[in-house]
Amino acid sequence: MADIKRFLARRALTFIPTLIGVTFLAYIIAFAIPANPAQAWAGGIKANPEVVARIIKEYHLNDPWYVQYYYFMKGILTNSIIDPRWGYPVMTYMLSRFPITFQLTLFALFFLIVLGIPLGIVSALKKDSWIDALVRTWALVGVSVPIFWLGYIFIYVFFYQLGWINIAGIPYPKVHITGVPIIDAMLSGEWNIVWENIKRFILPGFTLGFAGIGVIARLVRNSFLEAINSDYIYFARMRGLKYRRIMTHALRNALVPVVTVLGLQFGGLLGGAPITETVFSIPGMGRAMVDAIFSMDFPLLIAGTFLVAIIYVITNLIVDILYAVIDPRVRF
Amino acid sequence: MSSPQFREPLIEVKDLYVYFYTYAGVVKAIEDMTFTIYKGEKFCMVGETGCGKSVTSRALANIVPSPGRIVKGKVIYYRDGKPINILELSEEQLREIRGKEIAYIVQDPSSALDPLYTIGYQIVETMIDHYTVKDWKEGYKRAVELLREVLMPDPEQRIKNYPHELSGGQRQRAVISIGLSNMPRLLIADEPTSSLDVTVQAQLLELLRRLVREHGLTLFLITHDMGVVAEMCDRVAVLYAGNIVELAPVDEIFKNPKHPYTMGLLRAVPNPQADIEKLEPIPGTIPNLIYPPPGCRFHPRCPFARDVCKREKPPLVEVGPGHYVRCWLHAE
Repeated sequence: MADIKRFLARRALTFIPTLIGVTFLAYIIAFAIPANPAQAWAGGIKANPEVVARIIKEYHLNDPWYVQYYYFMKGILTNSIIDPRWGYPVMTYMLSRFPITFQLTLFALFFLIVLGIPLGIVSALKKDSWIDALVRTWALVGVSVPIFWLGYIFIYVFFYQLGWINIAGIPYPKVHITGVPIIDAMLSGEWNIVWENIKRFILPGFTLGFAGIGVIARLVRNSFLEAINSDYIYFARMRGLKYRRIMTHALRNALVPVVTVLGLQFGGLLGGAPITETVFSIPGMGRAMVDAIFSMDFPLLIAGTFLVAIIYVITNLIVDILYAVIDPRVRF
Repeated sequence: MSSPQFREPLIEVKDLYVYFYTYAGVVKAIEDMTFTIYKGEKFCMVGETGCGKSVTSRALANIVPSPGRIVKGKVIYYRDGKPINILELSEEQLREIRGKEIAYIVQDPSSALDPLYTIGYQIVETMIDHYTVKDWKEGYKRAVELLREVLMPDPEQRIKNYPHELSGGQRQRAVISIGLSNMPRLLIADEPTSSLDVTVQAQLLELLRRLVREHGLTLFLITHDMGVVAEMCDRVAVLYAGNIVELAPVDEIFKNPKHPYTMGLLRAVPNPQADIEKLEPIPGTIPNLIYPPPGCRFHPRCPFARDVCKREKPPLVEVGPGHYVRCWLHAE
């Protein structure tokens, strides 16, 4: 297990260039906007020139881009950059929004796992049946249909027509432990809050996960089929192993590539969150970033990008560790 | 035991037909296959790649790989003198026989072992599923003994190894100990040494011979190597394009081959029992089994082919004690 510590340390070091790269790209894009952010932050066309000048000085807006970038990153890391619109430190603001997005992503991931994996297995076992065709269609439709369209259709059907779900407000439990409402509610046993959260998040979660479910199901199907047709499964049958044990062998082998893709999907879900959050008016990080774009609030935008990048690399780290747990051929 | 008179049959194959239903057409892999394996003997099947050796061996436990199907015939297995038709058993009854009474050693041990489980685990699960050990603890003890018996170095450590951590020879030893784990009555070794280098081959053949002798097993060995045949077997069946063309005690085959194919085969490899000046290949190639040649399947390559060979399939006739030939030269 000394190996795993060294592995973690080594991987943590590789985070640094990744994070610098991502924030730098986001910064360059924000920098390239041909508008005058200081003017906008100070109140638009009629802004007080004195205020504009102060903002320019505060955010080093007249300095070359690399100086600006340096101050930005320093400010983000020490949480000393103040959001020009709200007056809070940007990281504090983003972090306060993060649990909501995390909860949304958990819901989507939940659907990916509890629907995607079984659907994949069933369509592998019943190859070329109607369910296999359904999964294939789902995967195709899922990647083709835009999230916002799907979201509005779901809202129309399940909220407007059927009234099964909520689409306003986030029910918070009384306690604050992790900050993620549904987890806190579970921990403190406020089951009605848990239920309210489920009613609030089930549809956005499903919408966000919709494309991924089809992708995961297809992947599980293919890798499960490959496992089932492999020599070791054939030899397992020749050895007269029981059906359930044979399936366990096949499933564990099939899951090796699935874990990788689930990790990537998690990042993809975070990326899809802004649209889903906007459609379902969920006050998460994605929504905050969309708002930040509209108001040229790029300190907030870069803070958000930074957070998403951190989550992404951490997810990948977890995937790598899981990988080694599942597959003994992978070692640190 | 050079002239075997083991008259107690262990398994009888009668009039077996196995076809493969492929997109290109029906591959008539095995036709009109009849032979008996007697208790305690070492029976060999020899032939070129694709002649149906492996398929025949798989048919013995009714585990012909898809898209192959046994279309006709009987496989009678004698348990305590009682005949059981393998082809009429349920999947669960077959499972109980496979790996316990009829066990396989496969050609390629690297793909036959599940890469995600230790070899100890894979040996023990084979016993657990046949209830030949009472629990995993006893199973692991037994696995160490088995590995020691197949001369695996350092067996206490090896049971904790994953397949990829072993050499090819060690993997094959692991597969052999899986085959032996339930002390089967019939051990089917399908080219057990062809994926290994020559020195390891010799060791493993010696090992197999010793195990068969010490445990009183019956061995069904499949090979394409006449040298292995000479060294290992009591009786040998020569297969050509899905038919047995000659079946005889091993000395007979080498001293007194009757079928033109057997003669050709012996001229094509160094013969330990006859002086031949130079090796001669058999002209032509193995036939397409979707459209097998009419009459005798060997006639397009046979130097003695006559009209009747092209029209009619020769019967398998006894030309000496225990010596059968399927050839018009000897049919009259």
